[in-house]
Order: sequence, then C-alpha cells, then structure tokens
Amino acid sequence: MSDQKITIEYNDRVVRQFLLATVIWGIVGMLVGLLIAAQLSFWQLNFATPWLTFGRIRPLHTNAVIFAFVGNMMFAGVYYSTQRLVKARLASDFLSSLHFWGWQLIIVAAAITLPLGYTRGKEYAELIWPINLAVVFIWVVFAVNFFWTLARRREPALYVAIWFYIATIVTVAMLYIVNHLSIPTGLLHSYPVFSGVQDALVQWWYGHNAVAFFLTTPILGIMYYFLPKAAERPVYSYRLSVVHFWSLVFVYIWAGPHHLLNTALPGWLQNLGVTFSLMLWAPSWGGMLNGLLTLRGAWHKLRTDPVLKFFAAAVTFYGMATFEGPLLSIKSVNALAHYTDWIIGHVHIGTLGWNGFMAAGMIYWLLPRLWNKPLHSTALANLHFWIGTVGILLYVAAMWTSGITQGLMLNATTEHGTVLAYPNFLDTLNTIRPMMLMRVIGGGLYLAGWLLLAYNFYRTVRGAQPVNGTIEVYAEAPAPDTRLSVGRALLGTPMIFAVLAVGFATMWMLGSDLVSTAGLTGAVACLIGCLALLPSRGPAWTGWYEKLLLNALPFTLLTFFAVVAGGLIQIIPTLIVQQAQNVEDRIQVPYTPLELAGRDIYVREGCYLCHSQMIRTLVPDILRYGDYSRLGESIYDHPFQWGSKRNGPDLARVGGKYPNIWHLRHMEDARAISPGSNMPTYPWLLANNLDASVLPAKIKVQRMLGVPYGPLSAQQIFDQVDDQAKGIAKDLRAAGAYIAPEKEVVALIAYLQTLGKSVPVPPKSTATP
Amino acid sequence: MSPTPDRPPQPGEDPLRPHVFDGIQEYDKRLPNWWLMTLYGAIIFWAGYWFYYERAHLGPSNATAVEQQLAVIEAVRLASVPSLDDASLWKMSRNPIFVEAGRATFNTTCASCHTEKLTGAIGPNLVDHLWIHGGRPTDIHATVTHGVLAKGMPAWGPVLGPRKISEAVAYILSYHHEGEPIEVQAAWVPRAPQ
Repeated sequence: MSDQKITIEYNDRVVRQFLLATVIWGIVGMLVGLLIAAQLSFWQLNFATPWLTFGRIRPLHTNAVIFAFVGNMMFAGVYYSTQRLVKARLASDFLSSLHFWGWQLIIVAAAITLPLGYTRGKEYAELIWPINLAVVFIWVVFAVNFFWTLARRREPALYVAIWFYIATIVTVAMLYIVNHLSIPTGLLHSYPVFSGVQDALVQWWYGHNAVAFFLTTPILGIMYYFLPKAAERPVYSYRLSVVHFWSLVFVYIWAGPHHLLNTALPGWLQNLGVTFSLMLWAPSWGGMLNGLLTLRGAWHKLRTDPVLKFFAAAVTFYGMATFEGPLLSIKSVNALAHYTDWIIGHVHIGTLGWNGFMAAGMIYWLLPRLWNKPLHSTALANLHFWIGTVGILLYVAAMWTSGITQGLMLNATTEHGTVLAYPNFLDTLNTIRPMMLMRVIGGGLYLAGWLLLAYNFYRTVRGAQPVNGTIEVYAEAPAPDTRLSVGRALLGTPMIFAVLAVGFATMWMLGSDLVSTAGLTGAVACLIGCLALLPSRGPAWTGWYEKLLLNALPFTLLTFFAVVAGGLIQIIPTLIVQQAQNVEDRIQVPYTPLELAGRDIYVREGCYLCHSQMIRTLVPDILRYGDYSRLGESIYDHPFQWGSKRNGPDLARVGGKYPNIWHLRHMEDARAISPGSNMPTYPWLLANNLDASVLPAKIKVQRMLGVPYGPLSAQQIFDQVDDQAKGIAKDLRAAGAYIAPEKEVVALIAYLQTLGKSVPVPPKSTATP
Repeated sequence: MSPTPDRPPQPGEDPLRPHVFDGIQEYDKRLPNWWLMTLYGAIIFWAGYWFYYERAHLGPSNATAVEQQLAVIEAVRLASVPSLDDASLWKMSRNPIFVEAGRATFNTTCASCHTEKLTGAIGPNLVDHLWIHGGRPTDIHATVTHGVLAKGMPAWGPVLGPRKISEAVAYILSYHHEGEPIEVQAAWVPRAPQ
C-alpha cells in the first residue's frame, strides 16, 4: 500500500452536454406530444400534410421522449454518478464524446426519417435498419466506456446504483438486438425476421422491457445516487436493495405478454404475463420504499428544497405506476382497459411523473455543482414543481376517466347481453372528447413547467464557469483476497439454489406430467433445503454476495443470466411451435404483390397506431368486429400489426365489409362517411403513384422469411399489380370515382379489402403432443 | 464531499453499513413485513393460478370461455326472435316510438352510405320504389340482417341485434306506405350524396 495521493478530475463536460441535450430534446418531445394530443381533438391539425400527420409523428413523440429525453438524462446521471461512486474518471474522453455526438446524430436521423414515413412499423422500434446499426454501435461505445471505467475503479465495491446501470446496459443490448433483427429490402426498408404471433411476442418482450430497462432500472440507479445525496440521509435498507434488485431484473423480463392478453397469443404465455406481472408489484415497490424511506428525517426539507420535492413526487408516481401495472395485467381489468386511454394515462404517470420529475430533480441538483453557481431561482423551480404536478394530475385523471368511459361503452351490451349498447364506435369517441381536450391542457401545463426549467437552466449557466469535480485518492492496490473468479461466482450456493429453483419451477410449469411432477418435487426440495441451511450458512452466503460486489465481471454475468432466462423460456418454444405447418383452424392467404405494397403504405402511415388488427376472445369484440382472430391469420405478417391502441375501430376483418368507394371516400375525408370522426385526411395517397419497382426485392425477402410466394419474375409481379389495380380502379369508376390505377390509394384499398381473408386448415389426423 | 448528517445517529438507531460511497451511507434495516407478505402472496398466487389454469385445467381457455358465452347469446337470440311478418313491420312503421328509435340507429349506422335523407350515395336510394333485393318489409329486414357482402352491404344482425334492426326497418318503411308499387332495380350506381 502506498500513501501517495493523486488528484482525479472527473469528466463532467460530457455530463453537461448530456444535460443540455436532455432539456432541449425534452422540449421537442413534449411539443410533439402536445401536437398529437391536440390532433386527436382537432383533426385539422394534421394539416393534410404527410409529415405532420398523427401516424407519422406519434412515433416521433414516443422515440423522442424515450430515447432522446430520458436517454440523454440517463447518460448524464449515469456518467456523473458512476465516476464518483467508483472514484475514477470516465475511461476515455474520446468514447465519451463519441457517445454524446453519436447519440445526438441518431436522434436527428430519427427526427428526419420518422416524419418522412421511413419506419419498421413496430412500436418504439420504428427506426429503420441503418439507424438501428448506429444505435447498437453507440450502445457498445457506452458499454465499453462504462465497463472500462469500472475496471479502473479505485473503489473496490459496487454500490447499488451501479448494479442497476449494469442491468440496463446488458439487457437493453439484448432486447434491442433481438427485436430489431431484420432483412433489408433496400437502403431504407426492411422486414423483421419474425412474423405474426412470434413478432408480437418478441415486440412486447422488447416493448415492456424497454420500459423496465430503459425507463426504470437506470432511473432507479440515479435515484439511489441523487436522492440520498440531496436528502443527506443514509439509504434505508441495503438488504432491501439486494432483494428488490434481483427480483426486479429477474421477474420483469417474463411479464411482456401482459400486452397481449385475450389475443391470439397462446394461453400459457398470457398466463405467464398475468402471474409475473403480479409478482412484479413487490419488487417495484421495494425501490419506491427505499426511495421514500430514505427521506425519513429529511421530510422537513421538502418545504424549501425543490430537488427533494421532485424526487419525492417522482418516487410516489413510480409507486402509483407500478401498482397500476399489475392491476392492468389482470385479464378482466385488461379486457376493459386495453386499447383505451387508460393505458396512455398509465404510461404517462411513469414518463411524466417518474422519469420527468427525476430528470427535473437531478438537473436542479446538478446545475449549481456543474457550473459552480447557485441556481438562478429556487422560486421558479418550485413553481415548475407545482405546475408540473397539476399538469400530470389533469392529464392522468383525464385519461383514467376517458379510458374507463370508453372501455365501458365499447364493452356495454343490452338486451340480455346479446347486442352492443353502442354499436357505433364514434359514439364512444365523441363521449370522451372533453377528456381528450383536458389531456391537452394537462400536457400543456407540464410543458410550461419544463420551459421554466429551461429558462432557469439558461439563467443559471449564462456567464457561469463550468467546473469539473475532483477527488483526492490514495494510489492503493486492492487487497488480494477480494477476487472472486467467474467459476466461484457461478458455483456460489445462493446461485446454485437460484438456478435449480428456476429450473425446477419451469419444469413444473411447462413439462409433461412426469417432468412436471419431478419439477414440483425439486422446487419444494430447493425451498426446504434453502430454509434449512439458512440459519447456519446465512453469514457465508452474505459473504459470498459481498465478495461478488467486488467483482464487476461475475456480477455482470449473473445479471445477464437473470434477465436472459425469462426471454429464452418464452420465445424459443414459440419460435419452434408457432409455425405455418403447425397452425390449426385457419391460415392466412399470402398477400398479392399489390396488397403487400398497400400493406407497406399502411405501415408507413402508422395506421397501426390507431387501428388494431386483433379481435380478442371477448364477446363485445366479437359482436363488434366479427369472429375472434386466430394466430394463423397473421402468420405471414412481417411485421405483425395487432396494434396496441384503438383510436378507431379494429380492422382485422374489415376486408369485404364495405365497397371500394367507401374506402376511397374515407381516405379522402373520413367525415364524409363517418361524421364526427377524428381520422386525418390522406390526400397524398390519391395524388402519389405507387413505387412498384421495389416489389421484386421485397417479395424476395418475404420468400426468404418463409412466406410461400411462388417463383415470380419481376415482370410477373408488375403484371399482377397492374391487373389487380385496374380491377379496383374500374370498380371505383363504376361508382363514379376516377382514380388512376397506379395511385397509392388503390394499393391501400387492395390491402384493406383482403384483411381477414383466410383459408381453413384441415384438422390433423395425428394427435398433437 | 463528506457526508453532513442532518442529525447525529440517535442511541438505539440501526447501525450503518461500514462502507461509504461518495458520502452515501446505507442502513441495513429488515424488510417490512407487509412488503414481504405482498411478495410471498404474489408468488403463491402465481403457483395457484398456474395450477388452476395450466396444470389441472380447471378453468377454461380464452377460446373455450368465449365460445360458451357466444352459445348463450345465440340461445337468447333464438328464443327471443319475434314472429315478424310484413303486417307487423308495417304496424311498427306507423308507431312513432319505433320510428324515432329507428331514425337514431339509421343516422348513426346507415346514413354514411344511404345518407340521412335516405336518397342514397354509396348505397342505394331507399325512398323510391326501386328495390334490388326485394321491397317487402321482410325482404328489407333480411337484407339488413344478413347484408349483401358482395355489394358492400355489411351484415348488421350481429352488430345491431334484432330490435334495432326492426326499428331501422320501421324507419325506412315510414317513408313508404302499404300497397305502393315495388319495382325491381338491377343494381345501384354509387354517386355523390344529393
């Protein structure tokens, strides 16, 4: 050991950059959110302009607030706190800069391509494949920079915040890569490798865990650093940190199917979604408890300190959202709430309340420290808190009321439950219009609060000198007995018990009778063995964990194993079983080239953001839209278009329901057909010609992905497109509308008219296993 | 940055963990009982729910459950089908309660194609004497119930139910009177609303 002292200067420059980006992208993301919310009330605000239309800029809103706003906030918080928690400057200034500028470039690319209609058609995974590659590259840069810094740490033990950062980096990489697997058909377009029910499962495994590992775990880590710092109180309970961290990262991954309840997703996956969502309640509240109870002894500071106000409210909103989540995952609650504004409200408790308020608290705490100057105005920060809180409450109350009202109306039946009480979807839409307006007001208030923060930010840093934090450390070598090899970590008794318990429980859940019984026996034996050994071996296990905390690589590996289990057990059986040759009941007819082109227009215009294609196994859905959807009916859909929100009616069986002219008039101006509709107008679909030249490449990729297209030459494809388009144009002409067959709207009509077309599958003679 | 505790630790207060991270200290308090009960309760629920639905198959699958409910609905509908004939539909068409109820249904459901004046646009005119699928009250009733899918007329039976359909037909009939001529029209050419 040496007693030589060295001074480390932290890289706070990159923190300041990320912080500034957070403020700016926050404004942009919220402004777009405000616009799309207003568009739902006033359809004229779509301006009949493609790149301003709801379906194209709703993804801009979600991507901006998730990846730009929370992303930049997360990077700022992770970089600031990690350097201090491990007593080391970020490993590479170059990687830090590359991370910052690369991420901003990705955001700009997203902000350009999404309004232009370049999309993959999967929620929060809309960005096209070249940008996906850039995201993966920059994420790897982040990971290298982070783990390299850990490797150079002068603080041997890993604090709980670092655990959450590790889980974030590892899991987001895994989720992002799997859900973005695609085959390009050109520079700007690709088809996802998964289709139909598989694509739905992978998408919501990703979508749910983007919430978990992009919007929750990094922010929990940030909470564990900034909240005790600001409150100047010790963290409430270390052992609660341990229990809730491991249970959270393990359980979260399994809960994705709760986005697909009562759909064509196989029942066992739905039941996994229900039960694991309920098991997620306690782990989530563990984080809330550790946050709120850390404030014990500091509550009086909330009166004056805006930072603590924001943190306390944020953690409370986190608790609300994570109680509501399991509630919404109960099948019968979900039958009411799914596809309605209730879900939108639920999400915004998390984003506005938890993410947004954590961001605000963190920024107000960091500004004086990063620029060595007191905050310009505490009064303005307090005002921001109150405006923001009122905004959230208005927003969420409006969405609860709206969602429950519309859900009840859509599900209401009359005449002894045999008939829908409100057969016209528009009746339900027009009932919730006041709430939709109130949401705009709530969101507007929240944005106003954020603008106050931006002003406060500007006034604080104007003319101020940026300062970088420093620390003096002894250049000492770590004690030799702290190393825990990967093997020793994996073979630790707690690890063995955990693996055996999960393995046996899985055997019990999914195995055939004999395997299942063995699994049950094993799981019970594990439980008894664990409880029996706990009194004598407990201290040794604690020691094993303390040692694990000194070793970043084994810790990271164990985290990865915890998050990978749920995904593997859900996705692999689905990939094997749910294939075309195994489909029963009904199977989709592959699209003709023109219909495929129309489908790509449907995806491009973001129709799936307001229209589902999934009739659930619920009586009101069936009465309204027809027989419930079978999983074979979307087996060739790359990507699946089941949707997650019904601002308009379901379209799964709209094919053949109305004449072609109905669809044409409806796309021109929906109100000509459906008075009171809030659907945008699509004049450009009637003006633009279809680009059929890309179809041979697209069909080639579809064939590669297993869609049974015969050997079609390019000329045959063009001829088929021509024939079908002329047929539709002729039919439209007979109805008095003169539309050239090569217009985009003709392809879209061809697609809409084929929705729900399937052929029966003859029952198999052999019994299924 | 050294920690500046708000107040010194009180006697009897829980001990802090030895390690300090950038001034952050940690207690190691035991987990609240109610929190543990929530955790264990959810795990027990998982085991019970899974056993009930997936191992013992005591509960029906989604599809089975909804098929059962649909069977009940069909039975109720079959039992409550009124004996509709032309005479009773004509009678309904002179009953203001039926006609007013029918007007409401018509305007929200049918007017988008047939217009609120019933003079036709995407769908045919319903006030003239020309009928494509039969002009007798029971014919009209059958057309509305089962639709003419090939021509873009949806089957409204499952959506509206028999009562609303009878009302809507009564409303259409209120523009006609018994004994008026019925002429056969081959097809309808869609046109702009007039």
